[in-house]
Amino acid sequence: MATNAHAEGEGRQPIVAHHFNNIRQQQASVRFGMWVFLVTEVLFFGGVLCAYAACRIWYPKEFEAGSTALNPFIASINTFLLLSSSFTITLAIRAAYKGQRDGLRLWLASTIVLGTVFLGFKAKEYYGDYEEGLIPGPQKTLVDDVDATGKPVLREVSVFAVNLKHVLEHKNAKAKAISDKMTWNERDRTQMFFVFYYSITGLHVIHMIVGLGLLVWQLILAQIGFFEPTERHVYIEVMSLYWHFVDLVWIFLFPLLYMAGHHSMDGAF
Amino acid sequence: MATTHAPATTPTTLELDYTPQTAPPVVDVDGPPKVHYLNHSFGWLSWLLTVDHKRIGILYLIPLTIFFMCGGIAAGLVRLNLIQPYGAILELDQYNKAFTAHGTIMLFLFLIPVIPGVLGNFFVPMMIGAKDMAFPKLNLASWYVWMGGAMFFIAALLFGGLDTGWTFYPPYSSKYSHTNVIWAGLGVFITGFSSILTGLNIIATVHKMRAPGMTWGRLPLFVWAMYATSVIQILATPVLAMAVCLLATERIFGVGIFDPSLGGDPLLFQHLFWYYSHPAVYIMILPGMGVINEVITCFSRKNIFGYKAVAWSSVGIAVVGFLVWGHHMFLSGQGVYLGMVFSVLTMLVAIPSAVKVFNWTATFYGGQITFEAPMLFTIGFIVLFTIGGLTGLFLGILGTDIHLHDTYFVIAHFHFTMVGGMMFAWQAGLHFYWPKMTGKMYSDFWSRLAAVIMLVGFSLTFLPQFVAGYHGLPRRYPYYPVEFQMMNILSTAGATIQGFGYLMPAVYLPLSLFFGRNAGANPWRATGLEWQTPSPPTMHNFEELPIVTHGPYEYALPSKFTLEDGHAHETKGGNGGH
Repeated sequence: MATNAHAEGEGRQPIVAHHFNNIRQQQASVRFGMWVFLVTEVLFFGGVLCAYAACRIWYPKEFEAGSTALNPFIASINTFLLLSSSFTITLAIRAAYKGQRDGLRLWLASTIVLGTVFLGFKAKEYYGDYEEGLIPGPQKTLVDDVDATGKPVLREVSVFAVNLKHVLEHKNAKAKAISDKMTWNERDRTQMFFVFYYSITGLHVIHMIVGLGLLVWQLILAQIGFFEPTERHVYIEVMSLYWHFVDLVWIFLFPLLYMAGHHSMDGAF
Repeated sequence: MATTHAPATTPTTLELDYTPQTAPPVVDVDGPPKVHYLNHSFGWLSWLLTVDHKRIGILYLIPLTIFFMCGGIAAGLVRLNLIQPYGAILELDQYNKAFTAHGTIMLFLFLIPVIPGVLGNFFVPMMIGAKDMAFPKLNLASWYVWMGGAMFFIAALLFGGLDTGWTFYPPYSSKYSHTNVIWAGLGVFITGFSSILTGLNIIATVHKMRAPGMTWGRLPLFVWAMYATSVIQILATPVLAMAVCLLATERIFGVGIFDPSLGGDPLLFQHLFWYYSHPAVYIMILPGMGVINEVITCFSRKNIFGYKAVAWSSVGIAVVGFLVWGHHMFLSGQGVYLGMVFSVLTMLVAIPSAVKVFNWTATFYGGQITFEAPMLFTIGFIVLFTIGGLTGLFLGILGTDIHLHDTYFVIAHFHFTMVGGMMFAWQAGLHFYWPKMTGKMYSDFWSRLAAVIMLVGFSLTFLPQFVAGYHGLPRRYPYYPVEFQMMNILSTAGATIQGFGYLMPAVYLPLSLFFGRNAGANPWRATGLEWQTPSPPTMHNFEELPIVTHGPYEYALPSKFTLEDGHAHETKGGNGGH
């Protein structure tokens, strides 16, 4: 058992857990553990971003079209919200470090609000995509097309491709120009972009939800005075590390998903 | 008891006699402690809610043994079926499910978690002089995650099965297989998280929890190996999780990421899969190599030859292991130049592996070798692992791999490293540390016999497969030409002997709990910190914070026990060495 002078805090539990020798060792372990965890998270997102990169190199046109069909306005607002929440959680560390209970609660609550509004906007965006029918899937339909000799034929394409064509043509002139240059095969394959879009943003949303849950938990702890011994500011600190990471992932996702232009060698000539 | 040397009163007047000793005597000076980690509290909940790293180690041990038996039974079915050229007992789809069950259970539910889960949890904190892991609750959570994933996986295998092989290659797995690919994939995904959390915990523990004086240069080599393993676990496992996620997405939504008919690329999956799964074979073997260091020094009564080389070779294997995954795809349509690069990089892994083998053999040289069961397993390990490693070179070379790819040669190579290597190392570790974990000593005769039987059975199983594979017998096929029947019968006979060998520890180790004599604190008279505690260890491992003043294998120095209890040993003051 640790026999530090201040091992028994004002809370119910001792500040230094039984298996640590002193508070410094505990704080260092907690920080280190979170950094190692974030390394695994980098690899986790790295795997899917690697697959994204490979597919985008093969199919630049499809990725451009898919990206154009998304709603960058909501995503820009969300970027602003998430960056602000990174700022507020940093103020929360400062408040915890200085032992300001009210400040800690205020900044934790602000972070939670900003994160929740982010999720609300994200849900609205998903719903918009759903209404536009931009959901990949095996459903097929028939469209009018011409074959190589110019003869009119009926062609089986995915429902997604028809929806994509419709969305792009009614968006703006640039989107229509992109859509007009695409074949039905390419429209079909744009589903691949949307698979990445939903899976990466979905993973990001899951990380946000976990983070918000932890933030609520910390807010409750702050309410009951768990962070009164200021040594425990380290828990707010590692929470903020995680939150910054989730923020940082979004900083990567925003350009990769919403600004995917046509960068390929055959487009350059 | 011979009293050839009067116990000295102070170390300054002690005249050290460096006459080498032979068998280390087993002396129980104090008897087991009254209250230790096994009996300080009772009841199911005291185990299921424990955060004690030692109890969590035991929690891993029991299901792991059961999973090993499940995987073994599946292997037995496969071997039995291959007695006849057109299959002896199984339908074709049953055969596919049997070899998939064998591969997946053994890899994901046994080989990957076994040593990190049991010996890593139990001994890494003790070896570095800590009271527990850095994050004890996370440690328990990681066990629950692992059990949850394993249950998922077993359920998927029992209700419907899986027939993709352990590699889950699309488009077969994403489009054509009618078995539980998604559920099994979810099981792999979940157990992967447990693997990550265990690795994270061990890395944080090694960095932050070392006792005063326990510098990196004084860490036992088992800890170095576990550290390297953990680095691979946290860097590689997330990528597998991602690959399985994408596979499930493709299967559920019917969209192409890997399926070529939908615009995807199966090679992409293979890249993501092997980016994890090749380093994963080092997750499996490195902890085993760590155990070997501990056993070999103890039963040679010598310091390890080239401590730094062995320590850094673990790290080297971890690093280079990340750069060689492409050698699984020489014939999958990967570019020829990429294949050449991967071939050369694959050769590089042989260097740190060979450093280890040479240093182990050099440790034998001039040592006072005794042949207790752990040492027999260790010698088996070195021989079999060397054969496995050298035949791996055949497969790493681009030209020969074209001939040997997907034949029984690959199977034999892989089993020589994984069973001959890891399984023997696991047995060595289990037998070496059993007295410390339980406080009881198992039967010397039966344990040595088990080691010999396993070695004989193993060799008979897999040596013929090298020949069969060289002559072109492909892996995974249920039917084969009749001229291969003799090889297959030899293999199956060997598998039967092996099965008996594995059953023996399952009998005499539990029996030792009831009938074994008390082992005493340090039955092998080893020098590590973990042996300076009573057996079984007390709740917090150490009565007081240990201060470390020397390296882990100072068998040439008089140990603490020699100085204090010199009369208790049949020694002449020193304990071996020059």
